[in-house]
Amino acid sequence: MNKQVIVRSACLALFVGLVGGCATGPGGGSIYVPVGGDDRRSAPEPPRTNIPDEQDEQVWRKSEQPTVTEPDSPSTRAPSYSESGDQLPAAALTLVRDADQRLRQGDSAGAIARLERAQRIAPRSSEVYFKLAEAYVAGDNLGAAEQFTLKGLSLAGNDERMQRSGWLLLADIRRARGNVAGADQAEARASAL
Amino acid sequence: MSKKTPPRKKKTESSPRRKRSGLWRLLFRAAALCLVLLAGWMVYLDAVVTSRFEGRRFEVPSRVYARPLELYDGAGISAAALVRELELAGYRSGDGRRPGTWQRNGDRFVISTRGFSFPDGKEPRRRLSLAVRGDRVDSFSVMEGDSSPIVRLEPAQIGGIYPSHREDRILVKLDEVPDSMIAGLMAVEDRQFYEHFGIAPLSIARAMVANVKAGRIVQGGSTLTQQLVKNFFLTREQTLLRKGNEALMSVLLELHYDKDDILETYLNEVYLGQAGTRSIHGVGLASQFFFGESLKDIDVHQIALLIGMVKGPSYYNPRRHPERARARRNLVLDEMAEAGVISGQEAREASARPLGLSAKPSYTDNRYPAYIDLVRRHLARDYREEDLQSEGLRIFTTLNPEVQQAAEKAATDTLPRLASGDVAEALEAAVVVTAKDTGEVLALVGGKDPRFAGFNRAVDARRPIGSLVKPFIYLTALSQPERYTLISPVQDKAFTLEFDDGRRWQPQNYDGKERGLVPLHEALSRSYNLPAVRVGLDVGIPEVQETLRAFGVTTPISDYPSMLLGSISLSPVDVAQLYQGLATSGFNTPLRTIREVTDAANEPLSRYSLKVDQVADPAAVHLVQYVMQETMQEGTGRSAYYRLPDSLTLAGKTGTTDDGRDSWFAGFSGDLLAVAWVGRDDNGPTALTGASGALPVWSATMAQIPQHGFSPVMPDGVQYHWVNPGEQALTGENCDNARLIPFIAGSEPEQHTGCNGSLGRQIRGWFEGLFQ
Repeated sequence: MNKQVIVRSACLALFVGLVGGCATGPGGGSIYVPVGGDDRRSAPEPPRTNIPDEQDEQVWRKSEQPTVTEPDSPSTRAPSYSESGDQLPAAALTLVRDADQRLRQGDSAGAIARLERAQRIAPRSSEVYFKLAEAYVAGDNLGAAEQFTLKGLSLAGNDERMQRSGWLLLADIRRARGNVAGADQAEARASAL
Repeated sequence: MSKKTPPRKKKTESSPRRKRSGLWRLLFRAAALCLVLLAGWMVYLDAVVTSRFEGRRFEVPSRVYARPLELYDGAGISAAALVRELELAGYRSGDGRRPGTWQRNGDRFVISTRGFSFPDGKEPRRRLSLAVRGDRVDSFSVMEGDSSPIVRLEPAQIGGIYPSHREDRILVKLDEVPDSMIAGLMAVEDRQFYEHFGIAPLSIARAMVANVKAGRIVQGGSTLTQQLVKNFFLTREQTLLRKGNEALMSVLLELHYDKDDILETYLNEVYLGQAGTRSIHGVGLASQFFFGESLKDIDVHQIALLIGMVKGPSYYNPRRHPERARARRNLVLDEMAEAGVISGQEAREASARPLGLSAKPSYTDNRYPAYIDLVRRHLARDYREEDLQSEGLRIFTTLNPEVQQAAEKAATDTLPRLASGDVAEALEAAVVVTAKDTGEVLALVGGKDPRFAGFNRAVDARRPIGSLVKPFIYLTALSQPERYTLISPVQDKAFTLEFDDGRRWQPQNYDGKERGLVPLHEALSRSYNLPAVRVGLDVGIPEVQETLRAFGVTTPISDYPSMLLGSISLSPVDVAQLYQGLATSGFNTPLRTIREVTDAANEPLSRYSLKVDQVADPAAVHLVQYVMQETMQEGTGRSAYYRLPDSLTLAGKTGTTDDGRDSWFAGFSGDLLAVAWVGRDDNGPTALTGASGALPVWSATMAQIPQHGFSPVMPDGVQYHWVNPGEQALTGENCDNARLIPFIAGSEPEQHTGCNGSLGRQIRGWFEGLFQ
């Protein structure tokens, strides 16, 4: 099974370079679909010169938000799912950094306001939710912190680094709330990765 | 007031000649009585003046704002929508250099923002450059002002919460008013303002002479103090008595308060226009209303226009009578030059300028009645109505004007096509759109006439939800993976329930057919009734009720099995809340219409933060989401793709009640969750189903909004397997009847089934897989 996946993704990586378009489908991630008004067909996007390196090897993962828009031409419709949540786009990253700075200054309310803005931009990024959890820990609201950690974990998908940070964060929060069993359980999940 | 009017005939008469002492005594007594009464009247007026002026707390209505548009690389918006957003926020198409203007060149925009004080900080003025390609912002940069990869535009004001007299104003302090405005106002209206004692007898005499000469009223001799008293304390009737009171009160006012106090009050009180039933008071709001700029930012020609309008706000209304207003403005400019407020050169230059009005008042009074209605209900939890009407609060809502417009258009355009004749006339609709992961209510349509502030169906029409309940039955079942998976065979076969009291209940499928054993996913995506009731009874009505409550149903839920076919009455907003948890993989996210409330000075009063609460196992919810996607692709929701592109993956569920009395559709994409309801207010029958009534409204809404497809992240503990659902066995990807179906780990079938597909098909399938 694993081998098959590796072979397939290698082949796919090779072919998308040639073919380009990729349909929605299992594991395809969420695709941005413009409404297709007047300006879409008449003014196709000009070729880009500044595609970041990582996109070259990860084109098959459609979950990054600022990707090139595909024409809508899947051959079949099938229920879709993603292997992992979204990366933080630059705009959201700016807000998260701003929030970090405010957290360091002890302004958890200000940090939360910025993180909520980031969350609106990148609602499927587990990182934003983990940051929200941190801000709520700083604001001494451990209940909300635990919930945001769980939400972040639900979006971590197969990103092990993200999963591990999430489970460790959850363990800390649960321990702080006096839920030792829950904390141990979360810790076990982290170390199982 | 007039009832208490004392007899005021002759005040004091003195005659040097002595006649009969009796008459004199009488006269003297009468005069004394008059004096006493007058004194009493003065004391009364003084009390009126001081109490009203002392507690001079202007009732400032609360301002309700739409969500600010966030601009950054990748932001999803079409060029047309961007233009609409800019117009709504009071921007003008122009050179893109003056704050509040934009310039468009093909897909490129240059926008000069005005800056805005948000509760969490100030957005300074900036000049932005960006392109809109494929309905996304691209090449975003800040040309002038603080650099930032993300910028918020000023939010559009979408409404207000007014006191009953519907006066609207923005309070300004005297030191915030441009000097030229104060000097100009005095030059035109009251040159002796800082010298007189409330009334200016000389001016009155001069005015009277002028009026007598002209044979009509051409000049007023009122001081600013008198004008203020007239507006502030008195009715508009023109009687001598009122004139007398006005003079007395003006003098009293001047006795008690200093000139600056009176002037500041005047500038906030003066009436300058009308917008529907809302009256525009004070120079602060007038500047916003006519120029879309705050008072400190307007130029001398605009200042002169406002001063000129004091004389007759409706006669010199610059939007209705531009020529008249222009002549008046230029007259004011001349007088300002004459009084030395500005130079002659400045006056000439200003006179040559256009009126400088904003395109239109930045909002009409009641543009989104249903949405504002819901906002007010949410506010009522934490605020008193009188505070909302008078404290000048700023309310930052989550309304997305673009989505709102799409939902309104979808409802009004689609309804007439759903039926004909009387039924079409009677059909009504409601739409709710929320942001899937934040729970923010983006749009609310309360009926087919979205401007009509009447019955708000989105909030108040509680109707049976029909099959919308089914995902929660199956979610309850799928939470027991040892008993139910998506391929568990369920019985699509009629049966009769007999209650203890002898009554019988015999549920049926919508089409009246029975299909025998069907896989669970198919039973849900095709919305068969019989398997739903069987599964519901099997897992237990209390368990299903428990699931519904966890997802947000707060009203009592019937214990009868008919509940399994949706005999639960909910409003469209309630349904949106219920489905939020399904859309977000089991996290309840309370719906919000308000992000923040601040006082008039931008001090935060309340924040309504994002909250999440896990109420279901994400793995089980993922399975239900799979079937809700299948519903859109093969099941009862597939007609959505007549309108929508295939690439937009969606999940949803139809709902229909007996005789088509209620037609529901609830569904979501990657970004949005929308609920549509179609039915009649009199609860009469229609020929509609969820798929033929509410779904067209829903798809028409979605079709207008660029967005991400639905593609849930596979949660922990879920695995996808190729199976043959009919045989409940694992199979090869390219075999006949193979489906890639998610299972909670460990619940997948153990046995394999052979492959019926030909070798050629398998090879072809492999290559297709590669090229997809």
